Amino acid sequence: MTRSGVALLLILLYAGVSTARWVRRAAAWPAGSAQDEITAYESRFRLLRSALPARGVVGYLGHPEPTGPTPEDSNAAALLHFRRYLLAQYSLAPVLLIESTDHELIVGNFDPESLPPVPRGFRLVRDFGDGVLLFRRAPS
Amino acid sequence: MTIALAVSFAVSTCTGLLLLWLAWPRTAAWSWPLATSLGAGLGSGLSAVLLFLWMLAFGPTRGFPLAEGGLLVLVALAAARRRGARHTGAPVTPSHAPASRRLVVVVIAFLVTLGAAGAAFVSYLRRYPHGEWDAWMNWDLRARMFFRGGEAWQTAFSPALPWSHPDYPVLLPSLVTRTWLYAGGETLVGPALVAGTFTFATVALMAAGLSALRFTSQGLLAALVLLSTPFFILHGTSLYADVPLGFFFLATIVCLALQERSGGATYRFAVLAGIAAGLAMWTKNEGLLFTLALVAGLLIAGLSGSGWAISRRQLLAFAAGLVPMLVLAAGFKMALAPPNDLLSTLNLERTFTRLTDPHRYYLVLRAYGGHIAAFGSNGLGSATAVLTAYLLGLGVNRSELGRSWVRAVTIALVLLLAGHFMVFVSMADELSRLLKSSLDRLLLQIWPSALFLYFMVVRAHEEVRSGQPVTGRAEVGHGVRV
Repeated sequence: MTRSGVALLLILLYAGVSTARWVRRAAAWPAGSAQDEITAYESRFRLLRSALPARGVVGYLGHPEPTGPTPEDSNAAALLHFRRYLLAQYSLAPVLLIESTDHELIVGNFDPESLPPVPRGFRLVRDFGDGVLLFRRAPS
Repeated sequence: MTIALAVSFAVSTCTGLLLLWLAWPRTAAWSWPLATSLGAGLGSGLSAVLLFLWMLAFGPTRGFPLAEGGLLVLVALAAARRRGARHTGAPVTPSHAPASRRLVVVVIAFLVTLGAAGAAFVSYLRRYPHGEWDAWMNWDLRARMFFRGGEAWQTAFSPALPWSHPDYPVLLPSLVTRTWLYAGGETLVGPALVAGTFTFATVALMAAGLSALRFTSQGLLAALVLLSTPFFILHGTSLYADVPLGFFFLATIVCLALQERSGGATYRFAVLAGIAAGLAMWTKNEGLLFTLALVAGLLIAGLSGSGWAISRRQLLAFAAGLVPMLVLAAGFKMALAPPNDLLSTLNLERTFTRLTDPHRYYLVLRAYGGHIAAFGSNGLGSATAVLTAYLLGLGVNRSELGRSWVRAVTIALVLLLAGHFMVFVSMADELSRLLKSSLDRLLLQIWPSALFLYFMVVRAHEEVRSGQPVTGRAEVGHGVRV
């Protein structure tokens, strides 16, 4: 075989290995009823969306606290906290979620099993289940 | 909804194709595969710009698809009127090399890999229809802000969400919004359609561009390597803007190559290159660095070559295509976008400290070497290793290597990498993390362009077989033919 033939064979081998990978990926075709993680997470906010104003800024409180016994645990908790916040913002757009309690309304996004305290100066408007809550500033 | 999405794809592709038909120089042979792949991407880019302008005037309203349909009709009428005065749709210069067994093998390998990659692409998107992090924290979040925001769509640029990079250009969110306007509601198929368009238009442009300028086998081999680059297909499904940006880089470079083949008879391909570079700027901030690097490359190549007068006219034509997009991008940055997070937190003292820290240079250099050497690894080896071995087997076509556009693009790509290098050194807070998370994406952006350049200068099998360093089909007896 000539040098150019060997070179061509090399590219074909490279392509063959990738093609086998693509075939394996294609074979992992998800079932029609399977729901992806983000769509499932978004569904938690469906009822809350209708209770929020069409646009504007609301506060946000989330879990877990970005702390842990080790720096690695803290980082992991902070990343999870941030991911949940981002997904809540993605779900509830165009309402802007700001991580603070300086707003009239606050969205609470907690673990379903947790019993979060009502933030000071606020009252619970509604518990939408699955750890999703809406608080409103209490009249002073 | 599926039909509406198909219409959205057809409208942008047909508009792009027909505009190319109108702009295509009379002296250059028309190529349907090349024009269709180029038209799909450039048409999408044009649609994104039109929607942005529409939103500025009317907001994200359902009238946009009608207006765009009206534009398509006008462009089609113009194309039909000029049909007789233009090229008659003649094919590209027929191949002077008969189909060999090797070509048949390459065609089969390409088709099999294309089918498998396409199936994997769809399967992956079915599993992860929202894409990866940046898709839902930035690009598609912005699209939702546009679509759901109504009159308040500009909330998408609120500085209250700095982590969402509200200063980023809006080609991708506009295109996603556009699919929803056509569909009449949000659907996850919209972003997937945009991703699929750019991913496979890049493959098609690679194949068609090299087939037109060199040989069919060369085009299919390059497209085969691209389809076999795992990160290219997987990242295409992540719904990020890197693959669309890579398309516009490639389109710019293909147009520059076409321009040089056209000689000085016309500068229309240089104008198209400028438009494509402008659309790159409208896709990601990296597009601006690419454009600056390319202008520098064209200047250096022009000054060091013998035909400065031609280079100057080419640069002016490039600028003519670029300027409208430059004005749009500058207007967006000044009027709507908040300051860039990297630039706004720039601290001169801290930057100077970083710039004078040799360890940072070492870290970035080591990462560059490692990531480039391993780029495209698929278990057998990296794409860069395979291509190095291929080059040793085939050799270089010196007449292609000596072309001015090859020098210009090589300089541009090196400058682009150098520019990113200095951004890493001078600006990154968490250098290791940033290198890990973004270097492969930056390499992916230039990967289609680098592959195109590589297969333009490496000898084709037809040339090796004939024993002659022929320059490819484009120039055989037709100095100005494409």
